[in-house]
Amino acid sequence: MSTTIIPLLLDSLASAALIFFAAVGLTLVFSVLRVLNVAHGSLYSIGGYVAASVCLFIASRQLNPYLSFVALLFSAVFVAAILGPLIERSLVRWTYGKSEAVQILITFGLFLILEDLQRLVFGVQSLYEDSPMRLLGTSSIGGVVYLNYQILLVAMAVLVVVGLRLLINHTRLGRLITAVVTDREMAQSIGIDTNRIFILAFSLGVFLAALGGALATPTSGIAPGLGADTMVLAFAVAAIGGLGQIEGAAVASLIVGFARVLAIYLVPSLDAVAPYAAMLAVLLIRPYGLFGSVTARRI
Amino acid sequence: MSFRIGLSAVAIALGLVATPVAAQEKPSTLGLGIFTFTSGPAAAYGMPGKNAADLMLEEINAKGGIGGVPVSATYVDEAQGAQGVIAEYRRLAGEPKNQVMVAALSSANCLALAPIAEQLEVPTVGWNCDTHQLLLDGKSKYVFRPNGNTVPEFVAYAIYLLDRKPDVKTVAIINPDYAFGHDAATIFKAALKALKPDVEVVAELYPKLSSPNYQTEISRLATAHPDVVFSNLWGADLENFVRQATPRGLFTSSQVILALGETVLQRVPMPDGVIVGVLGDGWWMSPDAKENVETVKFAAAYKQRFGEYPVFPSIKMANTLIYVKAAYQAAMQKNGGKWPTRAEIADAMKSSNVATLTGTTQTRADNDGLVDQIVGVTMKSEGRSFPLISDMARYKGNSLMPQPGQDPIAWVSTLKPEFAKTLPKPGSYK
Repeated sequence: MSTTIIPLLLDSLASAALIFFAAVGLTLVFSVLRVLNVAHGSLYSIGGYVAASVCLFIASRQLNPYLSFVALLFSAVFVAAILGPLIERSLVRWTYGKSEAVQILITFGLFLILEDLQRLVFGVQSLYEDSPMRLLGTSSIGGVVYLNYQILLVAMAVLVVVGLRLLINHTRLGRLITAVVTDREMAQSIGIDTNRIFILAFSLGVFLAALGGALATPTSGIAPGLGADTMVLAFAVAAIGGLGQIEGAAVASLIVGFARVLAIYLVPSLDAVAPYAAMLAVLLIRPYGLFGSVTARRI
Repeated sequence: MSFRIGLSAVAIALGLVATPVAAQEKPSTLGLGIFTFTSGPAAAYGMPGKNAADLMLEEINAKGGIGGVPVSATYVDEAQGAQGVIAEYRRLAGEPKNQVMVAALSSANCLALAPIAEQLEVPTVGWNCDTHQLLLDGKSKYVFRPNGNTVPEFVAYAIYLLDRKPDVKTVAIINPDYAFGHDAATIFKAALKALKPDVEVVAELYPKLSSPNYQTEISRLATAHPDVVFSNLWGADLENFVRQATPRGLFTSSQVILALGETVLQRVPMPDGVIVGVLGDGWWMSPDAKENVETVKFAAAYKQRFGEYPVFPSIKMANTLIYVKAAYQAAMQKNGGKWPTRAEIADAMKSSNVATLTGTTQTRADNDGLVDQIVGVTMKSEGRSFPLISDMARYKGNSLMPQPGQDPIAWVSTLKPEFAKTLPKPGSYK
């Protein structure tokens, strides 16, 4: 068992990084817009498809393979710039202040549309492009060979947590977002353009979702159906961390990642249920999640 | 009023009785319902089957169809799930022109469709359908599988492994988490236990079907330090696993067996020495296949049309359509050249022996097929960008199958090392 502790911990971190990217956009959008975006998983897979397509184009034209790293980031920016404002203005804005049931129904409809659109645009078969993974090589840690790309993903996840914290706490935009989150009406009354904040926050959520999909693609490939799987896991993480809590999403990702990896190492038959068992355990003790709190209804 | 109802009932009853007679008239088109995965991760396995069906049906039609009737196919995507597959099956079976169903790829769907095929009395040919549970009761009248099943397929791997690596001590397994994965593990472990009882299974992993990421599983396998890693992952799952495991050194630290490895040889770089096979005899480059002019033509046409050579799901589908055509010919020969009914077609399939592109398929009394099993190892080949299979053994179909009605797992457990010694050795098939 002692020989497996280092691999177990490293795998937990690597798994948590991927899970975090799937969930952080969902939780950010909820914290600002108070909308539970069921289509979040589709945005994740669209990011993956765009990234894989651009990387395949780079490979087919025999361009500098290191461009594929730029392509991963560019794909997420591209998806966010196109889909973020479009979806927020055309659909999501109509759900503000509506009941959760309406929000879920509308974003679920969007999820179904986006899933079909992906099939039309990218086809129904799997796409693979692993240049970024191969370029970075491997390292032997604790007697197990790891991809350096996996370690890069962990570093990227940490960077995103720190970056989001800096954005929220130390920039003008962050303060405006905080004001809107704290009291939407008051923010409007003092002249904050809440519509702009909503577009920016939603697009940032789309960017994070698409970035998650793009970064996962080099090691996993992408196929129809990924959006639904991602969405379910993202909801579990958001629920554990407390909806709307970015640090909560990070800690919840670690918990889910560790639970899943521990199951694979010790009780493989529980692999699929481990994340949800962890969610159940946390919610039984803290019904609003680890970092969530009861919000008083304002009259 | 009641008289009218009575007349109507008689008319309906006469209509029902008359249907089989009408079906004997030669139709303008013969319809086949063909079930495979055309979307999602499993399409990596299912689409080569569909491609082969397209090509074979074109060829059959170019030669005048079956009994002078052109053949058309309606494809059903199995990715929609069992409920949708069953609904589509019932819909297609309701159309008289669709006399035969080629269904299905997924073992789970085959098991779901089998009782409906019996109920509706529609000849249903499992073009893939590996699970040994399909025809276990031996009572099937309308369900046929002109392939091998999981028993000979995975016993063959155990025998080949022990011939090639007789000092194996530890084995790890990573199979998909459904009937096919669990059945394969049970059979492979039972065969190893019977033939070399000191082999220890040090890890057993069953990741969810269509899982895109295997990094943790690969770490777990690496920490178990097994002599052998056995897997029957397939489709995009297999492709993902190979892509992720290769750079992490799994193929160099352990002897890897990829039971469906031939399907990805042309797509994913794979090192030499990986034990792979074709779950039957359907390799387009086997010595028998290379001697068959029809197979060479088929492989060349497939490559020209689809940009890659046929993989074994393609060959399985092509062989299945040859099997269906042979059944029609046999049925028409038996009934004096009339167009056969569904019952006559099923009757012709029973106990048939059909020459295929890669060997023969013999249908036993329980409707299960006897097909040879080819196993070998990957090896780079000059003039090709992908490895081929070398050091092959070709096991006779009947040598690795329990008798009809016998408990398959109990039969595997009775195997003796002496029995394995009587079988062909690696490298003997060339």
